[in-house]
Amino acid sequence: MKNGKILVAPAMLWLSLFFAIPMFIVVAVSFASRTPYGQVIFNFTLANYQRFLEPLYIRIFIDTVFTAFVTTVITFAMGYPLAYCITKLPHKWQQPGLILVMIPFWINFLIRSYAWVIILRSQGLINTLLLNLGWISQPLALLYNDYAVMLGMVYALLPFMVLPIYVSIEQLDARLLEAASDLGAMPFTAFRKITFPLTLPGVAAGSILVFISALGMFVVPDVMGGAKSALIGNLIQNQFLSARDWPFGSALSIVLAILALVLIVLYYKAIQKQEGGGRNEEKLA
Amino acid sequence: MMKKRIAVVLMGIFAIAILAMGCGSGAKTQPVKSEPQVLNLFSWADNFSPEVLAAFEKKYNCKINYDVFANNEELLAKIQAGGSQYDLIQPSDYMVSTMIKLNLLEKLDKNKIPNRNNIVKNLQSPAYDPTGDYSVIYTWGMTGIVYNKKYVKETPTSWADLWNPAYKGRVILLNDNREVFGMALKKHGFSNNSIDKDQLDTAFADLKKLAPSVLAYDTDTIKQKFIAEEGWIGTMWSGDASFTYKDNKNIGFIIPKEGTVIWADTFAIPKGAKHKDLAEKFINFMYEPKISAQNYEYIGYNDPNEKAQAFHSKEFLSDPMLKVAVDDVKQGEWLKDIGSGLTLYDRYWTELKTIK
Repeated sequence: MKNGKILVAPAMLWLSLFFAIPMFIVVAVSFASRTPYGQVIFNFTLANYQRFLEPLYIRIFIDTVFTAFVTTVITFAMGYPLAYCITKLPHKWQQPGLILVMIPFWINFLIRSYAWVIILRSQGLINTLLLNLGWISQPLALLYNDYAVMLGMVYALLPFMVLPIYVSIEQLDARLLEAASDLGAMPFTAFRKITFPLTLPGVAAGSILVFISALGMFVVPDVMGGAKSALIGNLIQNQFLSARDWPFGSALSIVLAILALVLIVLYYKAIQKQEGGGRNEEKLA
Repeated sequence: MMKKRIAVVLMGIFAIAILAMGCGSGAKTQPVKSEPQVLNLFSWADNFSPEVLAAFEKKYNCKINYDVFANNEELLAKIQAGGSQYDLIQPSDYMVSTMIKLNLLEKLDKNKIPNRNNIVKNLQSPAYDPTGDYSVIYTWGMTGIVYNKKYVKETPTSWADLWNPAYKGRVILLNDNREVFGMALKKHGFSNNSIDKDQLDTAFADLKKLAPSVLAYDTDTIKQKFIAEEGWIGTMWSGDASFTYKDNKNIGFIIPKEGTVIWADTFAIPKGAKHKDLAEKFINFMYEPKISAQNYEYIGYNDPNEKAQAFHSKEFLSDPMLKVAVDDVKQGEWLKDIGSGLTLYDRYWTELKTIK
């Protein structure tokens, strides 16, 4: 027992030094205010949170949540079939399949965003090709709009959806599907009634990962969206840099963190329910 | 077999998490503190000719430790957190006055920097540091209208030309609230430091009309956007315009008749610098006529050194973009730190970005 505590100590020290203390500082700063020259003064105030409630910022918050939600839905629609197909590959191809999903992450995300710019811009790959084929006479406006932002988000976050879903399909007890087939269920019915419900925890985990990452995204709107859309990540970045308003930026970060926390708690609640249900089914079997 | 595959997946997620976190936080080397002959320089990237730096190291038998920052706010944050680890910094104009007010800068010993007298008279005592006690101007330029002659047939003369409906969807503005609002304020004949609410409202109403025409707001890669002809017309710094012109000869650049922003990056010494003497030697060295000619030819910005003009190449002196800024320097107004006025700018700026 004593040895156990010693073993845990480095991790605890690390977490408290580099996670808990900075987090505490952000919370403290969010209740402070700013001097005309951008210095932080600690005089307890709720003004930063009140400012968040102004319609302008609420609208940005809603826009951000909506963008994150659409990103999640699209990554799910694309990611589930992909994960499913990988599990159906012959054994020796599954690992290469997964690695292919992850390969883009070996290159820094900022660089990959600029790669998209080179593909999509007026003199980019796609427009040059279409112009040369004579299919279009003017370059298409593929970049610097909301669609480009969505494309970048989905591209960046797809693996976060694919990997958890892959794990949950992989762990599925194949005997259940055999039983369904023996009892006369068509493959689609078996998928609808067995595979899909039992892999929902993977879908939920993937959705949480994608949704929370999308909420804080600021590189994609800047690089692929032409810095035209104000998402909450960009707003926070601005407060810490050009606006020199750390207290307001901190308050926005806290609001975002609380939203993420609520989602994670909901996720655990849902999982617990599912596991409870699963156990009952086992008993019946 | 299955365990192994799950392990691969977990490793993948872990790797993604690390890479995602690593994004945007470049590793910075810590300056060496104790050695006496080290000049800890904190500046913008690519802001010096490497040969000139090497020449200084050789002449004074020292080592230059060159760290970079990406914007003034990052510089301010580092200096406030304990700037004495640096000996020489390069704040921009308005940041110099902020740092003076926050008491973050050492007074320069003018006797040790005789070469500052080589600087053009009208740049020796700029508005952000009127006595020149704390800073020496290094690079300077002006914000103007950049345009591509292939698409913009009539040479622009006024900020109002950005509002021309013919350029809808092809306008690129600097991603900087002071620059964008400063431009709109100037268009109406106001100061680009105005914190008068009525004047700002006028500028804001006008910018709202421009917003749907804007293709992108960009500061860091605006040059590439004009080289690749994404944008037809927009706002740009003279130094960047010169860079862009070298890669795309269709590029033109003018200073609008209503006036514009003039900006400068400077040399300054943070409070408590350990090698103040060496830093002053460095500043003086940079304004030796031959050295400064060599340096500015490399970095491609206007050379404020009057005595250096004789050593510059014809190409440099006749660079149309750099010349525009020299000819129209009277049109420039320095951006000042507007203190709490910045909050209103930021609010309007945020609102501007929500317009589709």
